[in-house]
Amino acid sequence: MSKVVEISPTTRHEGHSKLVLKVNDEGIIERGDWLSITPVRGVEKLAIGKTYEQVPKIASRVCGICPIAHTLAATEAMEASMGVEIPDDAYLMRIILQAANRLHSHALHDILALPDMYLPGTDSKINPFSPEEPVRSVAKRIQTLRMIGQTIGEIVGGEAVHPSNTRVGGMYKNITPRAKAKIYDLAKQALPLAREQMEFMINVFENYGKRDWAEMCGREVAIPKDLGFHQQGYMATDPMYGSSSLDEHPTWDPSRWLEVRPWDWYMGEEEITLEDEAYPIGGTTKAGTKAWPQMQACTGVPLYDGQPIEVGPRARQAIFKNYDRKGAIGLNIAREMEYMDSVYKMIEAVDALNTSGSTVADVIPQGDGSIGWASNEAPRGSDVHLAKVRNGKVEWFSMLVPTTWNFPTCSRALTGAPWELAEVIVRAYDPCVSCATHMIVLDEDNKLVAQKLLE
Amino acid sequence: MSEYLGEYKAVYKAKSACGDILGKAQDGGIVTSMFAYALEAGIIDGAIVAGPGAEPYKPEPMIATTIEELLAARGTKYSISPNMSLIKEATRSYGLDKIGIVGTPCQIQAVRKAQLYPIGLRDVPDKIALAIGIFCMENFPYQGLYQMVEDHCATKIDNVTKMDIGKGKFTVYTERGAHAEIPLKVTHKYEQPACHVCLDYVANMADISTGSVGTPDGWSTVMVRSKAGEAAFQKAVDAGWIVAESMDGVKPGLELVEKLAKTKIDNNRAYLEHRKHEGTLLKPLRSPYI
Repeated sequence: MSKVVEISPTTRHEGHSKLVLKVNDEGIIERGDWLSITPVRGVEKLAIGKTYEQVPKIASRVCGICPIAHTLAATEAMEASMGVEIPDDAYLMRIILQAANRLHSHALHDILALPDMYLPGTDSKINPFSPEEPVRSVAKRIQTLRMIGQTIGEIVGGEAVHPSNTRVGGMYKNITPRAKAKIYDLAKQALPLAREQMEFMINVFENYGKRDWAEMCGREVAIPKDLGFHQQGYMATDPMYGSSSLDEHPTWDPSRWLEVRPWDWYMGEEEITLEDEAYPIGGTTKAGTKAWPQMQACTGVPLYDGQPIEVGPRARQAIFKNYDRKGAIGLNIAREMEYMDSVYKMIEAVDALNTSGSTVADVIPQGDGSIGWASNEAPRGSDVHLAKVRNGKVEWFSMLVPTTWNFPTCSRALTGAPWELAEVIVRAYDPCVSCATHMIVLDEDNKLVAQKLLE
Repeated sequence: MSEYLGEYKAVYKAKSACGDILGKAQDGGIVTSMFAYALEAGIIDGAIVAGPGAEPYKPEPMIATTIEELLAARGTKYSISPNMSLIKEATRSYGLDKIGIVGTPCQIQAVRKAQLYPIGLRDVPDKIALAIGIFCMENFPYQGLYQMVEDHCATKIDNVTKMDIGKGKFTVYTERGAHAEIPLKVTHKYEQPACHVCLDYVANMADISTGSVGTPDGWSTVMVRSKAGEAAFQKAVDAGWIVAESMDGVKPGLELVEKLAKTKIDNNRAYLEHRKHEGTLLKPLRSPYI
């Protein structure tokens, strides 16, 4: 006889989401739904009628963790619709910005993921805020890496959160030679730290993968060897930066993409029949409460070739490097392995940057209403923005953000895991929920209808 | 501590010890020498100064990271240079960590306010290393200054080598040695209206304030106000960039500074009082101090 348990809200990630889990008598998940309950942002509707300069700035406000990804994706979607080619130096600056964002975001994820993990060789969980070694020096290293990422983002982007220096057609200002030297120094400082951090974290995650049990709700919960495995495919557009419809060989295909309503992919109304007061923080939802994932999910369900897919660090490595480690641990390790490239790419780009070069395109056409898309490989996966610009005004704008892709995929990855460890699987996706919330359309009977997207 | 001069640790009669700087400096060349020394000593890694603009005597803020750039910005410009507009950019595309900034009393107030409430200025407050304030009675919009020079002084502004305000007169000097002067009374109508609500004459909130008033020609009065200002000034004197002497017995001395400060502040307080009754429809004009 299966029971239903609800963890609401889920913690230690950005945004507001919950888990509704159908479990068997042993507490193993038979069917899990992870859904966003963040209220709709409405950015896509706000964008209509605004100028192409305004929309990327508005789009970046959807979230404060990866505003750089949203700014770049939205800016490039405008450029793709209008057919703007940006100068090389502007492109290099965007790569530096991208790498800086990834460095800071992955470091932030480490802080969020560590409390689930054990210090290798012990049975004590890691408290990243503990003043004791070796944890204190790890926390310091994480903060130094974040400081470096954010400072470089500030220099190149004008602002680490919501970069102001990016613009349609390139970048407003090039940086000075002194700023270039500073970025170089900071990146060189980050290099050994990133390597140490990567090795430490991989060791910690591998150790968790080898453990038989984890302590949850005051009891030992068996860790299955296939924690977080799923059968869905991967989608990624570039190992580092992204792709757009202006590319000679675009790596994303809008005709393979379809967005449907959560009605088809989530559970119907369920009554909560299992509760556990010992679950952090404050216990799970009380028994007797109703949950209705179909109606409560605030996201659309994007499909690629008719199936949910995974995006993110593992997807990038699976597609471009044949990485084949599955499960929650595999995903976490893939993320750690991206540390080094974000620093190397930063150094390479700053090396190639000409500080006296022009950073704005000579010609900026005002758009003829044709559709353009740009994908940015945000820390959490492909962030695809689509736009139609006509005579300088945005006619239509859509954001397909990483965690929207991951919601239904991760829901499938929950099957087979003990419900107490469901959040460990969710956190492996480094979810960033607020931008994943999508505009929904209701018909006369207040029923959700699928959005008609690409005409 | 004085009601009109604010808090200060020490006051000196000082001038630059460097001939290059003094050559084109307004008086003692204190701002240029202080920044030049601070750049050399690593106290700052760049300074926001009023650089030459597109038109003569129309200053434009610039970030000087070398002594050559500093020298290009020597001398007083009597039109406003919005130096605060670069304070954020200095920490961004210029990549500075320790910023020096020079400004009029109102601009130094803006610096301190920005440090207190850094709205839109993330990671800027802790990077301001040295704020030098200049004595300021009032300022002129560029069109006003242009008219004073071209019409009242009957001098082509392109030919002017130096402008000066002192001893109740506004004086312009030209390349050919000619000079023209007009009484300050004539210039009053060209002042910026906002200057008439200002209650600060000697940049009370700066690390170091300086100006020509109170000391003989070729010297400047320097008021050292903060710990950072005291340390930087002392080091600049010890390193031989600046010659500083006691103000004791200097004529006209601090009494004149205080007298002018009192004139400005009392007049402006009276004007603020007047604004309460100046508005139309029985509505007072807004007080900038609430």
